[in-house]
Amino acid sequence: MFQDRRLGLALLAPATLFILLGFLLPVAILLSGAFQTPEGWGFSSFTEFFAKPLHREVFWRTFRLGLYVTTISAVIGYAVALSIVDASDKRKGRLVATLVLPLMISPVARTYAWVVILGKTGIVNQFLTGTGILDTPARILFSETAIFIGLIQLFFPLMVLPLISALENLPRDVVPAARMLGANWLQVFWKIILPLTREGLVVGGTLVFVGSLTAYVTPAILGGSKVLMLETLLYQRVSVANDFAAAGVIAVILIVMSIVTNVVLKRLATRKGGK
Amino acid sequence: MSDAFLSLQDLTLGYGGSVAVEALNLDLDRGELVALLGPSGCGKTTTMRAIAGLMKPMSGRITLDGRDITRVAPNKRGIGLVFQSYALFPHLTVFENVAFGLRLQGVAKAEITRRVTAALASVGLASFAERQPKALSGGQQQRVALARSIVVEPKLLLLDEPLSNLDARLRLEMRSELSRLQKELGITMIYVTHDQSEALALADRIVVMRQGRIEQIDTPANIYERPVSGFVAEFIGFENTFALKQGALVGPKGSLALAGAPGAHGLAWRPRTVVLGQGAHEGRVIGASYLGETVEYLIDSAAGPIKAETPAHAPRHAMGENLRFDLPVEAAAVLSRA
Amino acid sequence: MRLAGQTILFLVLAFLIGPFILICVAGLSGGETLAFPPEGLSLRWVARVFEVESFRATFAVSITLGIGATLLALLIGVPAAYGLERYNPPGANVIRNVLSSPIIVPGIIVGLALLRHLVIPLGVGILPALFIGHTALLIPYAVRIVSGSLVNLRVDIEEAAVLLGASRLQSFTKVVLPNIRNGIMAAFIIGFITSFNQVPVSLFLTGPGVSTLPIDMMAYMEFNYDPSIAALSGLLALMSLVIVLVAEKLLGLSRYV
Repeated sequence: MFQDRRLGLALLAPATLFILLGFLLPVAILLSGAFQTPEGWGFSSFTEFFAKPLHREVFWRTFRLGLYVTTISAVIGYAVALSIVDASDKRKGRLVATLVLPLMISPVARTYAWVVILGKTGIVNQFLTGTGILDTPARILFSETAIFIGLIQLFFPLMVLPLISALENLPRDVVPAARMLGANWLQVFWKIILPLTREGLVVGGTLVFVGSLTAYVTPAILGGSKVLMLETLLYQRVSVANDFAAAGVIAVILIVMSIVTNVVLKRLATRKGGK
Repeated sequence: MSDAFLSLQDLTLGYGGSVAVEALNLDLDRGELVALLGPSGCGKTTTMRAIAGLMKPMSGRITLDGRDITRVAPNKRGIGLVFQSYALFPHLTVFENVAFGLRLQGVAKAEITRRVTAALASVGLASFAERQPKALSGGQQQRVALARSIVVEPKLLLLDEPLSNLDARLRLEMRSELSRLQKELGITMIYVTHDQSEALALADRIVVMRQGRIEQIDTPANIYERPVSGFVAEFIGFENTFALKQGALVGPKGSLALAGAPGAHGLAWRPRTVVLGQGAHEGRVIGASYLGETVEYLIDSAAGPIKAETPAHAPRHAMGENLRFDLPVEAAAVLSRA
Repeated sequence: MRLAGQTILFLVLAFLIGPFILICVAGLSGGETLAFPPEGLSLRWVARVFEVESFRATFAVSITLGIGATLLALLIGVPAAYGLERYNPPGANVIRNVLSSPIIVPGIIVGLALLRHLVIPLGVGILPALFIGHTALLIPYAVRIVSGSLVNLRVDIEEAAVLLGASRLQSFTKVVLPNIRNGIMAAFIIGFITSFNQVPVSLFLTGPGVSTLPIDMMAYMEFNYDPSIAALSGLLALMSLVIVLVAEKLLGLSRYV
């Protein structure tokens, strides 16, 4: 009954054309603009962009923070996922809901809370000056630390949920089997759990890393114009200086990093599996 | 304090608030193969997991080869476990699966290769070393699981219904394999099963369990010929089991007068020991099935239905026929309790 | 070790949820500036939220955008999902990647691209451009969620309908749609919330009188340090939570996430 494949294509046409024309085309033109120079095609926009120390600093900062956020999320993520998977069904459902619900709330709201907590008169500083650890309030806002904290809070659930799914799909009894063969818990984690949940780790890692690289709201609110990340830099270059060349370069960098992360991590997931 | 190789003393096990196994006492000698036999829910798997260390006892003690292992972690007990689901590591080859425990012990490479190859050969899988678990059949996976557990030379080997996922023919093959291996290596084994023919075929002694307690511990022959309770009798194939009260057999429908067997709590007969055509009791044939070598009859009696079996060449009885039958006391198993 | 796990779990959950509860309490402050602990409790900042003209205007824009873009995304996304799942047309894999591409492209690039190559050269209005951007963003969600429902729906019921005399369209509307209704509603809710909370795409697509609420909030907080943003954040979160909880009760939303 479903042999008329042309009908299938017709059903797909509106959505596909919409995305091709209304989305991919403008984006492709924008990206190609980064490769256009007065002398034709070339990479001069890129070399000009990276010539500025500020731009290099922003690039490395974005990459670094992305790595930190992803690594810490992975380590704590496993601990949390293992605890949740152990729980009773009812409790498990409630714990997962508690992780998912924040994802439904505006990032603006979630990030703004840190302004209250980390600001000069925020509760962290109130505690530090109140107990005498510091004489004057520390500057925590508008720093890499603040952005790091904001990003972790934003993206942590995206690491834990795939890990929970991967842990639930572990073959029965492999953990007790490893124990009976003499493995302690660290060996069980390293030799059994980690290899067998690798795909979950990759999904979570991709979501968190790419999310951190392409974050706007959190760096904007918690970093301001003092501590820029790639997207806040892009916004600044365009709105302040009409520097569309820089915008194009940053756009290309962001997309390339996004695609490369997806491809590399996917390769890592399936590498040993088929040996 | 006993000098048995494995000793369970007053072991009480439970989940949450409820008790699954109550004050269990069991001693095993070195080199024995003991079967834990019983229906599902009787506590045999729970007991096995407690011995393995995968479950903390509520109270009681476990001693292995002179050492109190009640509080010892499962990876330090020197006990092996072959899981019902085999639990092979899907991301490792057959060789690596079997080598797993040895690698954890830091055994030298050459030694590992020697022992793993020997273990695989002893289960007949010498050429399977580089295969992936998912490419193996159920029987092959089971043998890899076995090799993996025995290559680390455990003091005690536990097997959890290891043959239940195999088809009938394979089950028979594996049964002889297991028996042969156990005798060759002299490993003390505890074999958990709900299948009485497996227990009878393999075990040196059978522990029949019911609702968290031991019903009877004895050799297969004694369990088979002389069950001590109605439960064991029925479990082992005595299909005519009656309580004995004041000189009468009490069944589901009523009672039959019977002389003899003073002091017995109950009596049980196998179908082939029921005598048809003569005797003190009266009944009517309500079922007759020709089974090739034998004929099976269902006789309605004052105490309830009686199952009888005669050789095919014996005189036949028709449906609805009224006849006399006998339950000879000398052929009965004497049950000392309910 | 179990205790360690439970402690970590508790700390993590406190970290995730705590700041958010804090901001809601700060929004109920009776004082003049944003602070925690707040000086007294009152609803005055909550009331103030409704008085700010730009909040009201951009809220209307965000709601319209959310509902409109989601509807359009479903309108073209549901047939696309159906075409992919049932017909497996040539080039299906390429098409799947095309339909998923909006997820890979960072939103800020989309907004800028639409501004420079659709709005400015072609004179397309800001609002229509926003609309296009949001719809494109939501199509992958619509297709993915509805595909999930279709995969679990047996094909033979459509064949049965056709054999009983239904046309292809009738078999779709009478047999398929009622059975994927919950998936579609889940896609609607997730799409609406995604669009409403979206910032990067809308960043460059603002103009006189046209902006989305989250962006307006970010502009407001640059120069104002009163608790109204906190109050508004609390209100929006409440709105999101109510929508999600109601959807969970009625649809079992969690199955589609």
